[in-house]
Amino acid sequence: MESETYMKALILNGSRKGDRFLDAASDVLSHTLKGAGYEVDPLILRDLKIASCKGCFDCWVKTPGVCSTDDEGRLVPMKMMQSDLMIYLTPIIIGGFSSELKKGLDRITGALLPFLTNVNGEIHHPFRYKKYPKILGIGILPQPDEEAERIFRTLVNRNALNIHDKGHSTVVYRNDSHERVAEKIKALLAEAGAAK
Amino acid sequence: MSSPKKALLLVGSPRGRDSSSEALGGYLLNRLKEHGMETGKVYIHPSMLTERGQAEMLQAIDRSDLLILAFPLYVDSLPAPVIAALETIAEHRRTKVRKEQKLVAITNSGFPEASQMDTALAICRRFASETKIGWAGGLAIGGGEALHGRSLAEAGWMARNPRKALDMAATALAEDRPVPKETVDIAAKPLIPRWMYVFVANRWFKNEAKKNGAQDKLYDRPYQA
Repeated sequence: MESETYMKALILNGSRKGDRFLDAASDVLSHTLKGAGYEVDPLILRDLKIASCKGCFDCWVKTPGVCSTDDEGRLVPMKMMQSDLMIYLTPIIIGGFSSELKKGLDRITGALLPFLTNVNGEIHHPFRYKKYPKILGIGILPQPDEEAERIFRTLVNRNALNIHDKGHSTVVYRNDSHERVAEKIKALLAEAGAAK
Repeated sequence: MSSPKKALLLVGSPRGRDSSSEALGGYLLNRLKEHGMETGKVYIHPSMLTERGQAEMLQAIDRSDLLILAFPLYVDSLPAPVIAALETIAEHRRTKVRKEQKLVAITNSGFPEASQMDTALAICRRFASETKIGWAGGLAIGGGEALHGRSLAEAGWMARNPRKALDMAATALAEDRPVPKETVDIAAKPLIPRWMYVFVANRWFKNEAKKNGAQDKLYDRPYQA
């Protein structure tokens, strides 16, 4: 896919309240994306009323594509499907995503069909839609941490595999300057083929 | 550490008592009881909804020697309320000195390959490391969704491998040993052949949609741009 086709970027912000570094990183991310020609839609998940997934499968077999819980969690798959890039911005918590980010991600299940199919030797769900956004992950750590970074990157890749794609991720450290954060984000966009 | 005396099952499924997590974790808990351990159970989702629920969950954890975390795979990881619970437990353990404990994780998913749960178990292991809880091992049950809340006894032949693995795990854990690799390998065996699992699951989804009068909407694209 050519970079010119990426026009809308959804930021799933999984920060905790009072995380100034992540808020600043979010500003740098928005600025960098706008500079690359994107319309940016930041979704601060902690500010939204999102109930946890009930595991009821209604989004597959009762109201296909729509979660039966009528709250702001419905915004996540809706905005996802209207975006060209979906960017996770999250502190890396025990190697994975924050619970704030995860509560949003748990509500996107209906964006795929319920059925099971073989994808490169592994079972996954088939597509409900013709096109899905690229998934990019930006994880925040206090300092380099090989194991946590490996788990985080693997998790982003696994999420991308659900839409039969390759994930892209970077890790930002809390002592990185704004300039360094911007460099990492630009490199991430370039790696994903999403930079102008 | 002497042999563990109290085991606590943390059920991390929103389906609670009707979940495969309950069926798998509950089976292990019963085996541990037969080995002479005291047992208890906490449902994470309702506990995390209130401060009182969280406090009671933390108290139950503090009283236990062995923690059993049983959860379904959600989007390649743990369900959000379970992650929130781990964040809460980690913070709790940071503020006070806790006694020596061990953690074993049991996860299951709607995919037949146990390897799809590797990342979720890596997160559990990392949690144990960060909170200085001893890691006793992780069991991944491929296609555990097929249990659909039935007990392992009710599931009969299909659950023979999980039963065998959990029997072996109980023996090891009661003797304060980590779950052996052989046990992990047995647990990872699919409940039924992969082709059969896919066939049955696809038919089940169609039948459920029909029951709900949604068979003509199965392929809807409500958020198509």
